[in-house]
Amino acid sequence: MFELLERCLETRATTKADLVQLRGQTRAMKTCTVKNGVVEECSDISLTGLGVRTYVDNKSWGFSSTNMLSFESAKQVLENSIKLAKASAHLKTQKLRLESSREHVADVSTPVKKPIEDLSTEDIVKIPLEAYRGAKEVGQQVADIEATYISMEDEKYFLSSEGIRIRQNATRVLLFITAIAKSSGLLCPASENIGHTGGLELFDKASPYSLGKQVADDAKKLLSTKAPPSGKFRVIIHPTLCATLLHEAIGHPLEADLAMAGGGFGDCIGKVVSSNLITIYDDGHVEGGLGYFPYDDEGVECKRTTLIENGLLKSFMHDRASAALSNVSATGNAHAWDYSVEPLIRQTNIGIAGGDYSSEELVEDVKEGLFLEGTFGGQADVNADFTFGFQKAKRIQGGKIVEELRGANVAGNAIEVFKTIDAVGKEVVLRPGACGKFQFAVQGRVVPAIRCEILVGGIGD
Amino acid sequence: MRSKKDWALLSNAARKAIKILEKRNTTHAEAFYTNTQTTEVTIRNSEILAQNKVDDSGVGFRVTIADNKTGFACTNTPTEKAISKAAEKALAIARVGSGSPNFALPKASRPRAVKGLFDPRLADMAVDEAIDIAERTIRAAEEFDKRVIAKDGRVLLQSGWRGITNTLDVDLETQETKALMYLGGAGKQNSEVTSSCYEFIFTRKADLDPENVGESVGKKVVTMFKPQPLKGFQGAVIFAPEAVSYQLVDVLIDALKGETVMAGRSAWTEKLGQIVASENLTIIDNATLENGFSSRSFDDEGYSSQTTVLIEKGRLESFLHNATSADTLETENTGNASRYAGGFNMVRSIIGSGYRTKPEIYPSNLIIKPGNKKKEELISEMEKGVLVESMAGFPQPGSGLISAQLSNAFFIHNGEIQFPIQGGMVSGIAYDWLQQISQVSEDTKQFQNSVMPTIRIEDVNFVGA
Repeated sequence: MFELLERCLETRATTKADLVQLRGQTRAMKTCTVKNGVVEECSDISLTGLGVRTYVDNKSWGFSSTNMLSFESAKQVLENSIKLAKASAHLKTQKLRLESSREHVADVSTPVKKPIEDLSTEDIVKIPLEAYRGAKEVGQQVADIEATYISMEDEKYFLSSEGIRIRQNATRVLLFITAIAKSSGLLCPASENIGHTGGLELFDKASPYSLGKQVADDAKKLLSTKAPPSGKFRVIIHPTLCATLLHEAIGHPLEADLAMAGGGFGDCIGKVVSSNLITIYDDGHVEGGLGYFPYDDEGVECKRTTLIENGLLKSFMHDRASAALSNVSATGNAHAWDYSVEPLIRQTNIGIAGGDYSSEELVEDVKEGLFLEGTFGGQADVNADFTFGFQKAKRIQGGKIVEELRGANVAGNAIEVFKTIDAVGKEVVLRPGACGKFQFAVQGRVVPAIRCEILVGGIGD
Repeated sequence: MRSKKDWALLSNAARKAIKILEKRNTTHAEAFYTNTQTTEVTIRNSEILAQNKVDDSGVGFRVTIADNKTGFACTNTPTEKAISKAAEKALAIARVGSGSPNFALPKASRPRAVKGLFDPRLADMAVDEAIDIAERTIRAAEEFDKRVIAKDGRVLLQSGWRGITNTLDVDLETQETKALMYLGGAGKQNSEVTSSCYEFIFTRKADLDPENVGESVGKKVVTMFKPQPLKGFQGAVIFAPEAVSYQLVDVLIDALKGETVMAGRSAWTEKLGQIVASENLTIIDNATLENGFSSRSFDDEGYSSQTTVLIEKGRLESFLHNATSADTLETENTGNASRYAGGFNMVRSIIGSGYRTKPEIYPSNLIIKPGNKKKEELISEMEKGVLVESMAGFPQPGSGLISAQLSNAFFIHNGEIQFPIQGGMVSGIAYDWLQQISQVSEDTKQFQNSVMPTIRIEDVNFVGA
């Protein structure tokens, strides 16, 4: 792949652009989905291709990609990319000189303790089947069980006209389990996903069987609980849910492209934007994190970037263009889902630093409130409005948990909600995550439990 | 632009692989193959951010052997060698898989003649034209009112071929075009920034209307300044098409899919022939709608497109089916096999769509039958309540719980919009809401997999911020 891309970079067309970035990739995925005991889909997915991004007249970007790996196709794609970049150059008024990148060469692979190559198709099928077995044992009320195993191996090549040559290999393993319990017309869902950058050691901590059992057990228990109430509540947000809160509520508004859209945290650098208990960072080097990336898709190293320090806004997440606009250095947050799409500003492994509170202490101080746990995903807007779903809840009265409840959604505005945080948990956990901002991405989240005030959209009393 | 020769190479290699698989002790084999060219212009923060051109092609094989053991493999390397290797991999996986007792493929059927699936002008549209459309959209929005910022948007033009061949004599190919554009805008005045407002066009023709889209976003945005909180109440809510097209449609799809019925966990599993919604609600799945965004002459298993009445005046008439669910539940195939299912699903997002995945059941154009009053009349007839133009969040999987954040919503009193609402949510079980629909508007809007009117629902829980 390097030779093909190198040859392409040597063609005369590259002289027409200020910057040429070539990305080649092969991706091999193996998946197996078991639905209610039946192997529904067992797949082998092989993808390969290249994408070329060019910057012309110091103001306009173009991108083109193909799955055809001949030199002629590669050359055509490069020419298309330049043509596309030039096509809108006349509409851009502002010239923007990107901070120059130093020449460097790197070859990096993620550490894998138990390689996925050792797994035969028979072995792969056993993983979701085991999860199903664990779930099924919970009982008849568990009406629908789905488990999916995915392994993904990426071999990515990055070459740029600035002399950068990077090869990155990454292996990711994921397991998704959902269960729906049913009793006299009431349907209660529960789910859990585990995933990391690494090999089959993912299952050393938790077996597919035990995860299946846990998810089905959660769903079954919800059948005998009440719906949560609606209104504004003091809540404790468990790490499984804090992962979504962090990503949606504060992560998105801190992505420079969204921040610069106006509103949210756009003009707040150097200002207090949350409770002083909060320190937030993004770090592509969190080992095992689903968003583990040594380099981003512009060839910039993914270092740890402190975004908020003790409540003070320090930095946004940047790609090279947004960094140049803000007169800062890029933070390694330009990522593309695969070769076929251009890099966008994305979170890698976003984290909240741990605080002082044990789980008991978090509950003790709450007179009337809710403990929210488990996620069903959410959304965010540029003005920092956000919403996301929780899977289950507990009612707190007088510092004690008094009742178990089902799930619903919460909503709020990050600027307001983060100022109401009055406690951060000690224990910090690494969670897998995903995002659908314009294109798909896998990410990690490093999160404690937090306590804040939020609007709950339940249907109970 | 890929040539017809490239398509013929892909198509011949896929067919050849199926012929070979047929002789290898398989019970069924199917190849789904596509070749698409996508041109895309993205808008970000009042400017054109970038323009992309993506060429993609590939083949996905489904193979079944004795005891209905199935395997799937795909490749995007369009050479005969890589394609026959993918076919072999699918067979190798089938050999070690466990059986899918209900697996079925459709037999050959005559593809439906549907108007407006391919527009040569759209297929030939140059990137300069797409850039011009994007630029005019931004201008139309921002010139409507100086406070409006064109925040993000996209003009996407797609043209390509889709082919299916299987061992039951299905052998079909079609050429299709699609175009979509959207613009999201927000308003900025002093330190106030409004929530985002969107306008969309989903079409099959080169009929994108940038001035209308931009102006519509501008109009929506300026109504969002100075929102006020509203106390919680139980009462009537009018949901505009965009609001209906997310959560309510997601819940409907979950209940109507043959797959959830087979699993016995659709909320309507035992309700065929029974009243499940208000008599004001009639829902049709129409894959033959002229210029319909998800119209097609055959579905993604090669079965001919249908028009299926799902709910007639509140009575559940049919579910959505593919060959497998129709066989299992001993009913007619409704031609709803789709390899392009919508909604956000992490597993599906990782695996990808089209040739990268086996089909699942999904609507083509899910249509709520329009009523006979304009949206404006629904508003003017409302004494007191809330108008929800758009809302955010996902419904809870399976349970039908909608607990949605209001993105663009207004308080209505005496038939008039009083003010935009700050914060707030609506919550309830969608299956109950369907029984509480009191009015359906005449005017509708096309979305990716649905055509939705404005609807009024009684007795909704509004949660004040």
